[in-house]
Amino acid sequence: MNGLRGLFDNLKNNESLSAFKPAIEAVDNIFFGPEEVTTSAPHIVDKNDTKRYMTMVILALLPSTFAAIYFYGWRALSIILVSYMAGVITEVLFAMIRKHDIHEGFLVTGLIFPLVLPPTIPLWMVAVGSFFGVFFGKEVFGGTGRNVFNPAIVGRVFLSIAFPVTMSTKWAKPVTEGLGRLFNYAIPADAITSATPLAVLKTGGVEALTKSTSYSELLFGAVGGSMGETFRIGIILGGIFLIITKIINWRIPVAYIGSVFVLSAIGNQFLPQVAPPMYQILTGGLLFGAFFMATDPVTSPFTKSGMWIFGIFAGLLTLLFRTFGGYVEGVMFSILLANSITPLIDSVILNAKFKPRNDGVVYNEN
Amino acid sequence: MPESLSIFIATITSHNIALTYILGMCPMIGVSKNLNTAVGMGMSVTFVVMLTAIINWPIYNLILIPTNSTILTYVIFIVTIGASVQLLEMILEKFLPALYRAFGIFLPLITVNCVVLSVSLFMVLRNYTFGTTLVFAFGSSMGWLVAIAIVAAIREKLELVGDIPKGLKGPGIVMVILGILALGFMGFGGMVNV
Repeated sequence: MNGLRGLFDNLKNNESLSAFKPAIEAVDNIFFGPEEVTTSAPHIVDKNDTKRYMTMVILALLPSTFAAIYFYGWRALSIILVSYMAGVITEVLFAMIRKHDIHEGFLVTGLIFPLVLPPTIPLWMVAVGSFFGVFFGKEVFGGTGRNVFNPAIVGRVFLSIAFPVTMSTKWAKPVTEGLGRLFNYAIPADAITSATPLAVLKTGGVEALTKSTSYSELLFGAVGGSMGETFRIGIILGGIFLIITKIINWRIPVAYIGSVFVLSAIGNQFLPQVAPPMYQILTGGLLFGAFFMATDPVTSPFTKSGMWIFGIFAGLLTLLFRTFGGYVEGVMFSILLANSITPLIDSVILNAKFKPRNDGVVYNEN
Repeated sequence: MPESLSIFIATITSHNIALTYILGMCPMIGVSKNLNTAVGMGMSVTFVVMLTAIINWPIYNLILIPTNSTILTYVIFIVTIGASVQLLEMILEKFLPALYRAFGIFLPLITVNCVVLSVSLFMVLRNYTFGTTLVFAFGSSMGWLVAIAIVAAIREKLELVGDIPKGLKGPGIVMVILGILALGFMGFGGMVNV
């Protein structure tokens, strides 16, 4: 270990390699761990650091990732690899030009982003989306921990507006028997379909949805959808794992899913086009978005009441988009909009709670 | 849904004047550094938009159309806007000097704020009645207020945590934020129509 330590120190002090310093630093951190004190969220007073924090999220995402490969063949893995590559190249170029360290934030974004894409998406489109998300969603604000919007969602929303046909009609039927598509690479052309439960709901109404899909199909992923969002048992287990280990705050998923449940139960009574609550929760990307995307500690409020407002706002918008909107799914848009009002929520709550009194001292008026 | 309610919702969401028509960008970039100033700016834009819509509707429908002189629409509208901003400035200077000083150069800038003229022009283009014009004017300026408040809160946060590249500081990063916000607002597309 001492030899390795010396090697990294030599490499870091070498003048001719100074352009590659961020890359050397990143490899060094993998072996020895970082020593710096964080300057931006997430802050943790623990042996836990941002990298371990990210590793836990990746652990929780593994069931969905394996399910994606099982349902849709090895092409799913190459989509994930392309997403990582495009994102890492963007990140490394920024770090080199701006002489920053490489942040580990991309570990999670690079896995979440491909999991919300349709399985038949062309690989170059994955690279474009990943680049756009990392560049405009994160790096222009200063990198990990400084971004306002979730980079994966920025990339996904950009793709669904730029390439609407690929992003909303080219889904695939998953193979759920035996070994799935573990011995296949691509998805055969006859398995490509435009039907997902939400698309059925939009075109055929509630009756068509409840007749064609059962709860167990939705839970175990035997329906069309984005690669990582259909194996819902795995998502729920991963989400509960993250809540128990306190990586994510329970308030946001509870507020988000809870508000969708309550509002759709009310809406179902009055409007014929609103699906029953359990179907609202088990279709589309709601569970995936609520557990893995809305809970990003950087882009969600840090005040407790802010988290409730954030979740309820996102839930209300999701239901509005699904019921009245022109797009079939509204989870991405609603989380993006909830991200954008996060600074507003936080500053309004902080102003209401912490008022300087006449003597100039700030009191907590909880 | 009654027409006026759907117009009100549309002007805040799917037909947001700042984020789908990309109007009123100069104050959006100039006055969005601080949340309180931004909200104040939004309020005065609301006031001016309502005032000019109230004045412009009768002028257009009761004077310009009967006398067959709609060719003068633009000139007349610009004169009304200039005059009412001048009036607002005098009222503020007299009764709210603190707010007046906080605005500085930006209050006269409302005169050339595209939101004000465009609301009057949309009202002509879409043949709104007086009632719907009022709703439309109020909704549009509320939508603009929401947009500038969101941008200002984001900029305040970035001031604390952000590390923006040198070339993108100021207007550059505001354009990026507005672009991503507009992406989000595209989700409202197809929900309600004006």
